Amino acid sequence: MSVAVAGVGESGPALDDPRSIPEIVLEAVEEALQEARLGFDSVDAVVTASVDLLDGLTASNIAVTEVVGAVLKPETRIAADGLVAAIHGSCLVRAGAYETVLVVAHGKASLGPYWELTSWALDPIFLQPLGLDFLACAGLQARALAEDDAAAEQRWARIAAERRRAAAAHGVAPACTAEDVLASPAVASPLRRESCAPLADGATAIVLRAAGPAEPGVHLGGVGFDLSPHALGERELTEWDGLRRAWARALAVHGTRPTLDVAEPSCVFAYEEDLFRHALELDPGTEVSPGGGLFAGFVPVAAGLSRLAAVVRALRGPGGLRAGVAHGTWGPAGQGQAVAILEAA
Amino acid sequence: MILEGSVRLPFRYAAGTTASTFLEALRDEGRLLGSRCPACGTVLCPPRLDCRCGERATELVEVGPAGTLVSWTELPGRGAYGLVRPDGADTAFVHRLLDAPESLRGGMRVHARFAEERSGGIADLAGFEVAS
Ligand SMILES: [Zn+2]
Repeated sequence: MSVAVAGVGESGPALDDPRSIPEIVLEAVEEALQEARLGFDSVDAVVTASVDLLDGLTASNIAVTEVVGAVLKPETRIAADGLVAAIHGSCLVRAGAYETVLVVAHGKASLGPYWELTSWALDPIFLQPLGLDFLACAGLQARALAEDDAAAEQRWARIAAERRRAAAAHGVAPACTAEDVLASPAVASPLRRESCAPLADGATAIVLRAAGPAEPGVHLGGVGFDLSPHALGERELTEWDGLRRAWARALAVHGTRPTLDVAEPSCVFAYEEDLFRHALELDPGTEVSPGGGLFAGFVPVAAGLSRLAAVVRALRGPGGLRAGVAHGTWGPAGQGQAVAILEAA
Repeated sequence: MILEGSVRLPFRYAAGTTASTFLEALRDEGRLLGSRCPACGTVLCPPRLDCRCGERATELVEVGPAGTLVSWTELPGRGAYGLVRPDGADTAFVHRLLDAPESLRGGMRVHARFAEERSGGIADLAGFEVAS
């Protein structure tokens, strides 16, 4: 059995969306169901992704139960990146448990001081008391890479500028040049303000359906995910080896190594693109983030699912693209890694 | 309409027996401890009971106070953080760096500086400074 992506819907990314989380989520869900030509009554199960800490309330999925149509239905909630919710949804379909599964992820960065909040996701004995947060962790990872690579900062500035240019028309931040990136203030050296994707609000929804392998449409193929140790000092910081393991699992599930036409990594920082390319041993022919990726707007939690939606749109487009990969990450400096192969049938 | 709110919740985090021994040695003796796994020999700092090989790292050994700077970063207005591997340990941990960032470089030798007044907690280690 195959898993088809029957519909995708997105709200945002937007800067400081004045709407409530349920309203933002509802827009994405309605769009996904409309695309799939399905009503709530056709959805057998729902998988949502949300993080209490970022929503400022516990059981953050309870706030969206109604708008995702999960009342009186089996609902699973994932407190990680939205791509993991899609992976769990695909497992439910593949197992034959449900025919149609709705997957929804949301994030509203404007709710609070995002980077400051991430401090609460760190170890309370050894890390929190130091005032450390995910931004500082990213700075440590970027420095570990830049220390032996004199060209790194210039390269990352060019990557950030390229993504910002591609995202300018639909993103939350204007285009900028590599010089602008290098001239912007350091936020966690060597990271600079403009080498980080701009935070945003939004939601992504997708409808997964059981399908025959040859059924026309975009199919969700091999998937994999992985967790590295929480402590940065217990990892090889200059690699995303967790992504390498997740990718190996995805390829094993997939059965073959597809020729990737497009890749949509969840890179909040330009340096992460180096780690992504390296972990997947990406072919130079694969187009990376043609729409600017998360530089159009980084919606926490929804980021990975929005990358999946971007790959689906690319494969449905007129370019005749056959296969792509979506990526999600969560935790400090890429502790959690998820990856999914999508193919046009 | 935007409604302001905030969450303030006090907690009592149990450091655990292994980390408590580390924090006590830090507070009372100004020493850094790691935990050594009898099965694979790995020395973890800060000490943890659970070694990645599956055995329990039960043996506590002194590490540092000198070590190697693995990586570092500076945040405006917040100072510098470093990932430091103490001598004798196989893992590194993040703490504050007390020197001007211009002088920092990965691979350089650093030395633990303990806080003058210590009251229990990771801040009893003031941070690391470049070894002279
Ligand atoms: Zn061991």
